[in-house]
Amino acid sequence: MTEGWGDGLPLIPPTEGRVRMHLSKSGRFPDEVIAVLLPLRTECTVEKIAINAVMAGAPAESMPLLIAAVEAMAESKFELQSLNATTGSVVPAIIVNGPIRHTLKIPFATGCLGGVAGPAPAIGRALRLLIRNVAGQVIDITSQSTYGTPGRVAGIVFGEWEEKSPWAPLGERLGVKGDAVTAYGAMGTANICDMIGNTADHFLQMIGKSLAYPGANGFLPSSQWSETLVAINPVWAEVIGKAYPNIEDVQQKIFDYAAIPIDFLDPAYREPIDRCGRLQADGRVHLIQKPEEVFVMVAGGMGGLHCAMLHSWGTCLTTTKPVRMPA
Amino acid sequence: MNRGLILDPSAKRIDDISDPGPDLESLAGKVIGFRVDELWRSWDWVSEVWSEMLERDGAIVRFWRARGRTGEVGAEVLRELEAFTKTLDAAVVGLANCGSCTSWTIHDALWAAKNDIPTVAVATDHFEQLAGNLARRGGRSGLRLHVLPYPLDIRQKAEVHDIARDHYRSFLRTLGVRDRLAIQSAA
Repeated sequence: MTEGWGDGLPLIPPTEGRVRMHLSKSGRFPDEVIAVLLPLRTECTVEKIAINAVMAGAPAESMPLLIAAVEAMAESKFELQSLNATTGSVVPAIIVNGPIRHTLKIPFATGCLGGVAGPAPAIGRALRLLIRNVAGQVIDITSQSTYGTPGRVAGIVFGEWEEKSPWAPLGERLGVKGDAVTAYGAMGTANICDMIGNTADHFLQMIGKSLAYPGANGFLPSSQWSETLVAINPVWAEVIGKAYPNIEDVQQKIFDYAAIPIDFLDPAYREPIDRCGRLQADGRVHLIQKPEEVFVMVAGGMGGLHCAMLHSWGTCLTTTKPVRMPA
Repeated sequence: MNRGLILDPSAKRIDDISDPGPDLESLAGKVIGFRVDELWRSWDWVSEVWSEMLERDGAIVRFWRARGRTGEVGAEVLRELEAFTKTLDAAVVGLANCGSCTSWTIHDALWAAKNDIPTVAVATDHFEQLAGNLARRGGRSGLRLHVLPYPLDIRQKAEVHDIARDHYRSFLRTLGVRDRLAIQSAA
């Protein structure tokens, strides 16, 4: 703790023996450089990942997933440097696809975004310690996040309930079949509840309109992108999937509904939004710039009723990497 | 009590350039480039005042506006930044006025500074420490920083213009201008 290596929570001492056990499950050499992490521009080796995983309490078997997550966050299009410095409250959410969800007990059903006893918080915490100890993100030194977010302690690590999804898994749609991690720059999680709707269009309308709150980063004229992640519960997903078996149609519907009339905002906001081409001929402004930026996945409990929306920060582009298990 | 060895989870960058780099010395005939952004109108207002004063004092001023950082746009922006900084005798890069824009400001300032030209990153007071820390972690702790008041962007245009005029001489000193222009009081 006195070395500044921790997050304030108790840490497991990374002894040589414990680190060696983690390394043995990685299938990699300890000095292999997985990525250069920003803002410190330091080399993140397999050994550094193992040390921080031990400290966080992440299981040794999660090493391949951790390595893939580091690779995803380090992609240049993910813009880790500014993500780590921003006044925003963004944190890389890690979405897991493939059989590894089961072997690592990554939650994708009831309570998947928090509360399930299992390794996901420790895996998320390992990634957060890596961002602190190797990438160098430290509040008031290299980060000016005005509020931060609870996800910056134990991360946001959850899976997709692929078996309940009427669509292909998110990872596969983003280019990686099977075991995959997707890094998404999330501004936390928020809830959508609907106890009245009973059709696909009801649910999609409620999701889209809920997404479009005026202070969302996606509306900022300076936001390069407006990616948006929606985790739909399996009950709603079944209804929506029957009406819209093509995921592109679901994306288009959410895109269409996630808009506000420009007159809803003070006139001072019109000119900057219009200047960057975001004001439509019908007088509306879309939260999302194109339907492909809507990421839909299935997760959550069979209790239904709720949907999780994870707005993006607006600069980083979502990246997906395969999880390579040791031979 | 038993004692055991634990391994270091951190990584550190040890290379550093603490030298601020060359001074501009004088303004006459020098090409000075302003890197502006799409975020801060206050920085547009400061840079338009400074550019007028620089031209009045004999410099040639050019502008380049940074845009997105990722995807195809990001790649194009880097190519433009490279081409822009190659044409300059000095670079003025801003504005570090939030977390992410501080990281981009420092990134672009370090890019200009590697061409061995006088380079000033401009930050508002609240983000000075972040700017300095990111410059250090970018391997150049000596990067010149000029600090403007904070908050800046919620002030009216005339007030920001006044601030720009008040800061002009000290800005010249940060840039390394050593002639009478940098030491006489503001007009």
